[in-house]
Amino acid sequence: MHSGLIQQLNNSVFYIIAGLTVFFSICLVISRNIFYSAIFLAMVLMGVACVYLYLDAEFLAIAQILIYVGAIVILFLFVIMLTASIHDRAIRQVNKQVLISAISAAAFLFLIIKIIKRSAWQVNNPSGAALSIKELGKSLMTTYVLPFETISLILIAVLVGAIIIAKSSKR
Amino acid sequence: MIPLNHFLILGAILFSIGIFGVLTRRSAIGILMSIELIFNAANINFIAFNKFLGAGDGLGQIFTLLVITIAAASAVIGLVLIIAVYRNTKNIFADNINLMKW
Repeated sequence: MHSGLIQQLNNSVFYIIAGLTVFFSICLVISRNIFYSAIFLAMVLMGVACVYLYLDAEFLAIAQILIYVGAIVILFLFVIMLTASIHDRAIRQVNKQVLISAISAAAFLFLIIKIIKRSAWQVNNPSGAALSIKELGKSLMTTYVLPFETISLILIAVLVGAIIIAKSSKR
Repeated sequence: MIPLNHFLILGAILFSIGIFGVLTRRSAIGILMSIELIFNAANINFIAFNKFLGAGDGLGQIFTLLVITIAAASAVIGLVLIIAVYRNTKNIFADNINLMKW
C-alpha cells in the first residue's frame, strides 16, 4: 500500500518532468531572444536526463548533464556572445513558413502517435535488472570496442577540423 | 511503472518540436539547437526500447553514448562554421547565406 503510493508519486513526477520538458522545448523554438533559447535548451536537456533516470540509465543521465549542459550549452552561449547584435529583440527570429511548418510537424506527430498506438510491442522484461555501469564499461571495452575507437577517431578529426576552420584565414 | 508508449510519445513530441524549429528558425544557431532537440528525442527512444525490448546487453545505452558524442561533434563543427560565416558576412541568418546556392 505504502510502496504503491510512492510508485504513484514517482509516476506523477515523471509526467510533470515530461510536461516541463515539452513546455521548455516549445519555448526554445518560439523564443524571440536566442540567448533565452540557449537557457531553455539547458532546461530541456536536464529534463531529458531525468527521463533517462526513469529508464535505469544512470550513467547516461550523468553523461548527458556533463556533456550537453556542461559543455555544449556553454559553447552555444559563447557563439551567441561572439556573433553580436544578432540577439536583438527587434529582429524577426522566425521565417515566413511558420504556418506550413506547424501543420506539417503536427501531422508528423499525429502519424507517429497513431503508429505507436497501433503497434503491439512484445515487452519481454519490463522490470528486469538494470544494467550496471561496470557491465556497461566492460562491454564498451570488449564487444563494442570498434565503435568506441571509431568515435575517438571522429573526435580527433573534429578537434583538428574545428581549429583549422576557425583559424583566421589572413596570412 | 510507466508504460513504453508514454516514453515513445514524449520522444515523438520532442522530435516534432525539433522539426518545427529547424523549419522555422532564421538564425543558424537556433537551427543547431533544434537539431540537438531531435538528437535527444532519438536518444529517449533508444533507451526506452533498450529497457523494454532489449536483450539485456545494453546495446541501446551504448548506442546512445555514441549518439551523444556525435551530437557534440556536430554541434562543434556547426558552431565553428557559423563563426566562419559570421566573420565573412556579418550575419548568421540562414536565409541570407546563399553564397554557394547556384
